[in-house]
Amino acid sequence: MAEPLVAIRNLKLEAGTARGRAAILRGIDLEIGRGRILGLVGESGSGKSSLAACLIGLTPANTSAISGEIRFDGQNLVGLDPTAFARLRGRRIAMIFQDPMTALNPLFTIGTHLVDVLRHRDPGLSRAAALSEATAMLVKVGIADPEARIAAYPHQLSGGMRQRVMIAMALLMRPDLLLADEPTTALDATVEAQIVELLAALRREVSGSIVFISHHLGLVAQLCDDVAVMYGGTVVETGPVDAVLTDPRHPYTRALIACEIDEDDAPGGRLLSIPGEVPDPVRPMTGCIFAPRCAHAVETCRSEVPELRTSGDGRRAACLRFEELP
Amino acid sequence: MNTLAAILATLRRATGSITGAVGFTIFVLVILAALFAPVIATHDPDALDVMNRFAPPSAAHWLGTDHLGRDLFSRLIHGATIAMSVALSAIALALAAGTVLGILAAYLSDRGERVILILFDVIAAFPSLVLALAIVAVFGPSTGVVVAIVALTMTPHFGRVARAQVLTLKNAPFLEAERILGASGARIVFVHLLPNIMGPLVVLASMDIPVVITIEAGLSFLGLGVRPPLASWGTLIQDGYQFLSDSWIPVVVSSLALALATLGFTLFGEALRDAVDPRIGRER
Amino acid sequence: MTRLFKDERLGYVASRLLTTVLIVFGAMVLLFALTALVPGDPAKSLLGPQASPELAKRFIAEMGLDQPLHVRLWRFFGAVLTGNLGVDVISGKPVVQLVASVLPYTVILTFSAIGLSVLIGVPLGIHAATHRGSASDTILAFVSVAFIAVPSFVIAIFLLLIFAIWLDWLPVLGTSRSGEFLDEARRMILPTLALAAGWIGFIARLVRSSMLEVLGEPYIRTARAYGLSERLITYKYALKNACIPTIAILGLGIGRLLGGAVLVEIVFARPGLGRLVYEAVSERNFPVVQGAVLVVVVLFVVVNLIVDLSYSAIDPRIRRSSGQGAGA
Repeated sequence: MAEPLVAIRNLKLEAGTARGRAAILRGIDLEIGRGRILGLVGESGSGKSSLAACLIGLTPANTSAISGEIRFDGQNLVGLDPTAFARLRGRRIAMIFQDPMTALNPLFTIGTHLVDVLRHRDPGLSRAAALSEATAMLVKVGIADPEARIAAYPHQLSGGMRQRVMIAMALLMRPDLLLADEPTTALDATVEAQIVELLAALRREVSGSIVFISHHLGLVAQLCDDVAVMYGGTVVETGPVDAVLTDPRHPYTRALIACEIDEDDAPGGRLLSIPGEVPDPVRPMTGCIFAPRCAHAVETCRSEVPELRTSGDGRRAACLRFEELP
Repeated sequence: MNTLAAILATLRRATGSITGAVGFTIFVLVILAALFAPVIATHDPDALDVMNRFAPPSAAHWLGTDHLGRDLFSRLIHGATIAMSVALSAIALALAAGTVLGILAAYLSDRGERVILILFDVIAAFPSLVLALAIVAVFGPSTGVVVAIVALTMTPHFGRVARAQVLTLKNAPFLEAERILGASGARIVFVHLLPNIMGPLVVLASMDIPVVITIEAGLSFLGLGVRPPLASWGTLIQDGYQFLSDSWIPVVVSSLALALATLGFTLFGEALRDAVDPRIGRER
Repeated sequence: MTRLFKDERLGYVASRLLTTVLIVFGAMVLLFALTALVPGDPAKSLLGPQASPELAKRFIAEMGLDQPLHVRLWRFFGAVLTGNLGVDVISGKPVVQLVASVLPYTVILTFSAIGLSVLIGVPLGIHAATHRGSASDTILAFVSVAFIAVPSFVIAIFLLLIFAIWLDWLPVLGTSRSGEFLDEARRMILPTLALAAGWIGFIARLVRSSMLEVLGEPYIRTARAYGLSERLITYKYALKNACIPTIAILGLGIGRLLGGAVLVEIVFARPGLGRLVYEAVSERNFPVVQGAVLVVVVLFVVVNLIVDLSYSAIDPRIRRSSGQGAGA
């Protein structure tokens, strides 16, 4: 296989909180293949969004330490100079956010948003040229009457329409890496289905890779090539989406799939049907992060931190016992 | 008991910052000066000593004397009594009137509410000092008129906040429950509404003290507020300003006293607001 | 959609206009009520006991004080609507003429103070917000409170003492007699500064806090995620949002500045509305007080209306239709 677009090695992120230093990411190892769509799944608080924030260089203000390595096309993004990072953003990396209601500035028209982004990518572009390119892109993302919409303010559009605008903004960048942070969670079910269809249809438009963050396994199965399951700031299992979802190796992945079948899609994505609580980020990890909630945990699970190990063709899982499990 | 503990805890939070502590210190000093002026003052504030006019600060006259040889320190201390009594009585009146009108506005019919709100808007349409001038033109200057004017100009401010507070509480489940259990309107207002809306209003009142002091001093400076020979900070500044060519000490000393007091009250009021609820009174 | 939007905005403008008219009428009733409330013989209490009987008679006739109340109110409305604010009882000149001759001084002073405070306050606020927690931020926070808390006439006295008397840099008092622009501009410096000081602090603080709030909004994160430069984000995307509360407060500011202008005009011995009212009050020349105060109120209310409407032009989201109460 060709060299991946992004290779993350032992990425750790700590944040200062009122209760002390919290380990948000506890050593992530992950690769994002060129031209592939990676689904990032896990409960809320598992570190999916923080991982995306590291990839785009917008970690929250309370971040106290970040270490490890993110190789993006050979360039290490960890510790990258902010101005250099700002040059990557909007040219090679773009992001779609969860809540399209608040992600667009209410005082500027859709056109201003799109034109500013286009001119950032290509400063020589005239306003008229930028506007016509933006209008064409609005058509592509399925917005009817684009000339009227481009003069509209965000509050005049529906949630689904705003998310389409966000997608248009992202696609105008022609990014190598597109991060989509739960882009459909804030939308109702019908609109959600439409947006996922749109993303699937637009796959051909995007020459680069996409990271699709969701707590909804069904969407990931529908859209993604690969999947990485996160839990407590670690990746517990990763591999091609069909293989992982039909034959999960990690007990947590199994539990996640079982929940999905049980109760479809609980808002916030907290898995109540697995006994126990999500791990406290302030407490250090002494064994397997999932051991306290795992039905198969044995003594060594509590004392030894499992590494991600190859568990099949292109697959890896961080479980000491996946070979022995039924 | 619980209320007292809560008030003390709020005070502790308010004085936690340096600015809050400085403000609180000035607040306490001015209150003490106001309460015990006759004890603290070193001289009779009205005792003339024309031979000794414009005396520089000395052991006998800590801050020097004015154009009639009166002791400036003693006059400033007595000025605190006037400033505080005007401020507190005017704010108490405005607080009472504003709360009543605000609660009425929240409970009256749409039309009644609109009438009260327009009334507030009309009063607020007069810059306070300008309304004060119009009223003084009719009733003549006196301390009582100053109190009435300030109370009038402050009423809409309290009224709007009281109304907003009541509107957010009006349909709260606990009031709903009281109503279903058949509590009288008076019981709901006095037992449930008032205690719950008082916190923000009191903070607002504390933030208004420096504003009132400023209006009183401004009117007195114009000779249209507290009448001489009463020693208001405004009249002291006016006296000093008129004799600027003889000595700059009186005007500087009395202006500094006024500035320090308003600064202290502002710092304390803001610290208090931040300790109770950072969102109230932001528009001032 | 666009059509509906236009109509909604029209409705907003209409409701604001209506409230403004109501407020002006209310202010007129209040001012009228003040004359009617005068205890005892109106001529005596308004003109003072030393007024001559002839003057009192003329005054009563001129003010129509011998008529029933509702007739007087009606006449007052009619007169004001036709631009007649009454007659100065002492000089016999029309009040409108007196007001018109000094109005420019006050308006120029007030608006240069507002302009100066925006010009200085906004950049200071932006600096403090983008350098949050720095030494300059802390110093600015304290200086702002000090400027806000200290009454403008005290600042005026100190400026006068320091720059005009001790340093002798600027002309002391009054306006330029020759009407020469440069001289008049130099004489405006201290009064403008005195009046603006509090508002510089106020606006700096307001801009700082609204900037900080806006910079934490998700749409700023979006702008960052698309690599827009910090300069573009700060000055285009964040500043426009942060301006809304600032503009909303400017309308109120005009009112407080008009009040402050009275004192500053007197400290610096400048002509103006404040001085006119003050002198009329001292002479108990009530028609002049009434007329001048009414002009101040109309000025204040109209500026507020303009501010409210411009605010609605900046913010495309349709605001609630309630008037000043919600906006103030």
